[in-house]
Amino acid sequence: MDALVTVSGLHKSYGDLEVLKGIDFEVARGEVVAIIGPSGSGKTTMLRCINLLEEPTGGRIVVDGRIVCDQAEDGSMHFADKGEVREIREEIGMVFQRFNLFPHMTALANITEAPRSVKGMSKSDANDLGMELLDSVGLANKADAYPLQLSGGQQQRVAIARALAMEPALMLFDEVTSAVDPELAGEILLVMKRLAQQGMTMLVVTHEMSFAADVADRVLFMDHGVIVEQGPARDLLTNPQNPRTRAFLHAVLDRAPMTEDDDSITAEEVGFGGADLFSEQAPVEPESGADDG
Amino acid sequence: MDWGTVWDSVPLIWKGAGATLKMFAWALVIGTAGAFALSLMRLSASKPLQWFAIGFGWLFRGIPLLILLFFAFFALPELGILFSPVVAAIVGFSLWTAAYQAEVIRSGIIAVPPGQSEAAEALGMTRAHYMRRIVIPQGVRIMMPPYTGNAITLLKQTSLATLVTVPEMALLTQRIFSNNFQFIEPIFVLGMIYLGMTTVLLILSAGVEHAFRLRV
Repeated sequence: MDALVTVSGLHKSYGDLEVLKGIDFEVARGEVVAIIGPSGSGKTTMLRCINLLEEPTGGRIVVDGRIVCDQAEDGSMHFADKGEVREIREEIGMVFQRFNLFPHMTALANITEAPRSVKGMSKSDANDLGMELLDSVGLANKADAYPLQLSGGQQQRVAIARALAMEPALMLFDEVTSAVDPELAGEILLVMKRLAQQGMTMLVVTHEMSFAADVADRVLFMDHGVIVEQGPARDLLTNPQNPRTRAFLHAVLDRAPMTEDDDSITAEEVGFGGADLFSEQAPVEPESGADDG
Repeated sequence: MDWGTVWDSVPLIWKGAGATLKMFAWALVIGTAGAFALSLMRLSASKPLQWFAIGFGWLFRGIPLLILLFFAFFALPELGILFSPVVAAIVGFSLWTAAYQAEVIRSGIIAVPPGQSEAAEALGMTRAHYMRRIVIPQGVRIMMPPYTGNAITLLKQTSLATLVTVPEMALLTQRIFSNNFQFIEPIFVLGMIYLGMTTVLLILSAGVEHAFRLRV
């Protein structure tokens, strides 16, 4: 398989606390991999190691043929140098649990800042790209709004557009629906589902089991710093083999593992016209945001 | 209080406003530039730079401003460095301002949530770029009230330059004391002029805070 991401023997410790205890996996180009597991299992730390927001203490990570970090025979770690790290990060879009939009910039400026400063794109090209991306997440009419004037769901959709503006080869999603009201999670998941359908390679840390079942090609279950079980989404979620996976799924689903027919996200379910979301028409506003400033 | 004497005192004291504002403006500009440099040193990964910044703050916040002025005006000439009174005062006030405002700027920068620089890093921005475009603009809003407080203190402290013979407003006020044996009126006028100046500073600061406010 054509691996875009290869992680082998990944370790991360904070002092005596070992958070990642040897993680191995690959992500193929175009693959969507969901990472599930209890809090404290190391999912987020693992994701943050891939773009070096955390520095691993052991192991090797390769993204798109570039070595992010490697471990020598003697155990010492070697990281890509500053310039290489920036180049690698251009290839990797990241979306955070708490959005991390720049609150002093408009939605459009949030999106255009990196293409302009990192890629040297002209202001008009960046604005065109930004408007196109805002349109694709259903927020073309919020270009001039500031982040705090938007709902959580809208902010997270802007954050996705911001990451996409760098035209990354890989997208990392770190529990992106956890900080929004449950009724707004659907609009974010719909954008992600659409992105997956367009062939984006995605690594998604999530508690949304129905999203994992519906969109992911493969699911990794992590617990206590290791991958306990992995497999095709449907197999792992409906027929987990490991008792820890079974216990986790039982707890989060509050019942036995999923059945075959309750796992798809539709626009109707998320409460607004999903078909309209990506169309040329003005998007439907699912909730009342603050007024335009 | 004799209002005629009040009005007569105004032009006599106002002649020193130029020196007061000159010292204030130069010390604020030089001191703020120094404070920015010190705060970035303090936040850098380099231990020697960190220790330099810490040592600077320890020294110049730990000794009275008056001693800094005495040092610049009386002691440096003995070491062969001769300043005019105004320049000596500006040197002392700049050191004081740099030391105090460095703490304000540093705390403003670290009050910006770490997620902001993480998001910028994840997008591939350089540290210099995201400090300038993302972190500092947000820090300014946070640092403005204490920064203004220090600036107001600096403006009032310029009256200490009287003691190194700078002909600023407080010195000219004392001249009225000794020439005319009038006290209450010139003191009243001096106080009102300082109050007017600090009021302008507060208004300017509110304007800056407003410009950097978050739109909600």
